[in-house]
Amino acid sequence: MTLLATADTEPAPAPASGDVILSVRDLRTQFFTRDGTVRAVDGLSYDLERGETLCIVGESGCGKSVSALSVMRLIPEDAGRIVGGSVTFEGTELTDMPEHEMRRIRGNRISMIFQEPMTSLNPVFTVGEQIAESLRIHQGLGGHAAAERAVEMLSLVKIADPRRRAGEYPHQLSGGMRQRVMIAIALACNPKVLIADEPTTALDVTIQAQILNLMLELKERLGTAIVLITHDLGVVAETAQRVIVMYAGRKVEEASVEELFRHPLHPYTRGLMGSIPRRSATGRRSGVRGRLQEIPGIVPSLREEIPGCAFAPRCSFAGERCSREKPPLEPHRPAHLAACWEVARVAATPR
Amino acid sequence: MTAYIIRRLLATIPVMIVVALFVFLLLHLTPGDPAAVIAGDDASPAEIDGIRSKLGLDRPIWEQFVIYVLSLLRGDLGTSIFSNLPVTTLVMQRLEPSVVLALSTLVVAVLFAIPMGVLAAWKARSAIDRIVMGFSVLGFALPVFLVGYLLIYIFAIELRWLPVQGYRPLSQGVWETARSIILPAFALGMVYMALIARITRASMLEVLSEDYIRTAHAKGVAKKSVLLKHALKNAAVPIVTVIGIGLALLISGVVITETVFNIPGLGRLTVDAILKRDYPIIQGLIILFAGAKVLINLMIDISYSFFDPRIRY
Repeated sequence: MTLLATADTEPAPAPASGDVILSVRDLRTQFFTRDGTVRAVDGLSYDLERGETLCIVGESGCGKSVSALSVMRLIPEDAGRIVGGSVTFEGTELTDMPEHEMRRIRGNRISMIFQEPMTSLNPVFTVGEQIAESLRIHQGLGGHAAAERAVEMLSLVKIADPRRRAGEYPHQLSGGMRQRVMIAIALACNPKVLIADEPTTALDVTIQAQILNLMLELKERLGTAIVLITHDLGVVAETAQRVIVMYAGRKVEEASVEELFRHPLHPYTRGLMGSIPRRSATGRRSGVRGRLQEIPGIVPSLREEIPGCAFAPRCSFAGERCSREKPPLEPHRPAHLAACWEVARVAATPR
Repeated sequence: MTAYIIRRLLATIPVMIVVALFVFLLLHLTPGDPAAVIAGDDASPAEIDGIRSKLGLDRPIWEQFVIYVLSLLRGDLGTSIFSNLPVTTLVMQRLEPSVVLALSTLVVAVLFAIPMGVLAAWKARSAIDRIVMGFSVLGFALPVFLVGYLLIYIFAIELRWLPVQGYRPLSQGVWETARSIILPAFALGMVYMALIARITRASMLEVLSEDYIRTAHAKGVAKKSVLLKHALKNAAVPIVTVIGIGLALLISGVVITETVFNIPGLGRLTVDAILKRDYPIIQGLIILFAGAKVLINLMIDISYSFFDPRIRY
């Protein structure tokens, strides 16, 4: 995709300085239902650099999972499809790649792990076999070599007694262990990009930290770039280098993690931050922020074209212009993009 | 596993005793004096008395049952009233065609129905799906004898590819047997195919929407392998169950098929025995069919743990 094509939609994401491995431009994915077309992803762009961790944050239904499935070309054919935009991986366009070539990329160069470790593993095959299968497909390993490598992968993801566990079935493992197995499958072929769609949401809080730490540690070791999709700003703060905030299928804000937490510019980002429990400097909840702030209203239906800012109906800053015109995504601070007409007022308002 | 099989085999004993009791009572529950029933309408009182003492019907009923069960355990199914031959001998003479027919039907049905069901599920709501489901409705709706005569008309009378009727035993060569059994197997297998195809489709559809299928795609597994390895093994338990149930239901179809195609098998033996009221044969066949059914069920139950590791005994 050329710069020209993106010029009239939105500027290139801020820190495109480094070595970009995955580039998404003006991605549009729609689902075709009986009640009309759902614009699940509506013009999303981002760049992922080699070895970085990029977080995509947003509420349920904002299109973050669909954007990940679109990159992998895993949108169920009978439900929806990518209707526009481009996804390039190491300079190769993925959206129009023949299926058999795309298969060589999935699970090999770009891997994905999912939210549901309890149901994402096949119940009738041993976990060792499920790891070995990737190695046989992509690396051409023989049965025995693949099985041996699968055991190594299990010990890499810190599963105790890996040789015994390799011969076990998913139902014999706990949720945390299953997610470790999913990570082992995803990383078996040493991919350049790992897309993790809410990998810790279904797990106990204590296990969540373990899984996140494991992912970050392996990322460092293997040099994998991670796209981490989450609704949990706590996870973002701990893992990300750069953050994209999505709302109603579009990117509304993008910045480095420090910048975003220090100077959130979009009212929606502020709303998300208000909805997580915080502690004051003394370790106790401060009086003013004693209550959690919820964002009023619900995520808009993506069936109708929204003329103005999709967040306007829920936004306390919204003016008359907001519901009429779509705010462009523009840099308002160095390396900090936001799509909001009222950025100046938002920035001036104390949190 | 071995312990489970032994336990299950032992559990079949009470089932078979109940079957034996039912079969034994069959004669006594028939309205009227069993001896008179056996002797027929025109028998004299002396003849009826003769039959009664010959069959031991003048002894107390529990004693008769014990004698009956003991003879069953010795493998003695009784003696035909009309031909005076042991029932086991009659059964052995007729066993081969029926077993060959049942197994051929099983193979034909499974070989055609599972690919049809998988294809229909994969291409759900497409033209292929509608054709398969249409065929399935037809398979349920058309009676065996109609399909049988249709197949005879097309392939035997018009095209002359296959024999019209009759059965060639295996001793005359496998090829000849296959030629004589293929039309009956298809006629009998029609309903069976419809049933298996339908369940395969339903079971596959359910599995294909599971998260682990998405995982398989995300791993870069080829479509064919996703369907036949990842999905089909998960969908297998319901499919194997209907294959088993269907096999048991085939027994009634065998009777009609053997009549249409003039195959000298157990089905024909059953019909002839019922028409002639040859009670010992009927009783022997019921015991045999019940035993076969119990055995098939056992095999299905054991096969579950092969397909799904979560099922352990």
